[in-house]
Amino acid sequence: MKNKNKQTKFPVARIKKIMQKDEEVGKVAQATPIVISKALELFLAMIIEESSKVTVKRGAKKVEAYHLKHAVETTEMLDFLKEIVESVPDPSAGGTIDLEAENAEAAAKRKRGKGKKNGDTEGGGRKRRKKKGEQESGPDGGDVVEAEAEADEEEEDGMDDDEKPGPSSGSGPSGWKKRPSEAAWREDAPFIPR
Amino acid sequence: MSDREGGSGGVPPTDEDLSLPKATVAKMITDLLPNDVTCAKETRDLIIECCVEFIHLISSEANEICDQESKKTIAPEHIIGALKRLGFDSFTTEVEDVLKDHKQQVKDREKKVSKFEQSGLTEEQLLAEQEKLFAASRARFQGQGGQQ
Repeated sequence: MKNKNKQTKFPVARIKKIMQKDEEVGKVAQATPIVISKALELFLAMIIEESSKVTVKRGAKKVEAYHLKHAVETTEMLDFLKEIVESVPDPSAGGTIDLEAENAEAAAKRKRGKGKKNGDTEGGGRKRRKKKGEQESGPDGGDVVEAEAEADEEEEDGMDDDEKPGPSSGSGPSGWKKRPSEAAWREDAPFIPR
Repeated sequence: MSDREGGSGGVPPTDEDLSLPKATVAKMITDLLPNDVTCAKETRDLIIECCVEFIHLISSEANEICDQESKKTIAPEHIIGALKRLGFDSFTTEVEDVLKDHKQQVKDREKKVSKFEQSGLTEEQLLAEQEKLFAASRARFQGQGGQQ
């Protein structure tokens, strides 16, 4: 039987704090968070019910994030939760998101766009190498930061110092346009433009 | 505001991390699910986020209703109105019950206090009454053989 001990309640004071996080919300009557607590109970019950339906339909024993996502997408009342579940991957895509790869891709797209606008591939290169510095916390990290500072002032030379072995400087446009794969950077492989 | 919470509230988090207590929510989830189904940790955390979002949604809507009525304090009635507006009509019956119960409890508490006020006795008289009661029970106590 469900709901054997219906005694656990949401903390009323916490609810009030959460409400007042919204700057638009001013004073709140004492009974108001109590009433919200009840609404929250009902909401929780509904979201669990919808999600567990998906779980059972898929023959699973555990309610996974994807079940919740599916419930949100198929229940009109839960529309406002779409953003929250957006990042949940679909099972068919293999499950895990490689965040670094995603970030790198986004940064690369941004960089390419900027490079084209400014016609300044150095600037683009600088951005990319900063990214590299963030992702690889190896010895290169510190150097890149310094190179950044130098490059800001001196434009040219500081940047080249940190270049991976391979074609030096690579400051010609063609060198930067072809982006080496993340894996290449990680494994310390030489930069070989295609 | 006195916190009549089911369990201890715990230390409130800093403003930015404001969320609902994991243990409380976990327990409620377990109570709601059928016996042979469990909930993944990731899902639990997501659900907590959803709950917080729900609070924001209702509060925002209730705040609007409150403004429209030119009131300064968000009343429970505004919450009920918000639930209706946002398609959570099915919640309103139970929520209204809770509100009724709460109002009744408040009334009862006030009655208790006023009983003393209405007795017509001054504080000194009430104290004297209290002493009498103590003396009487002390006498009974000692009369039982003086167990200390």
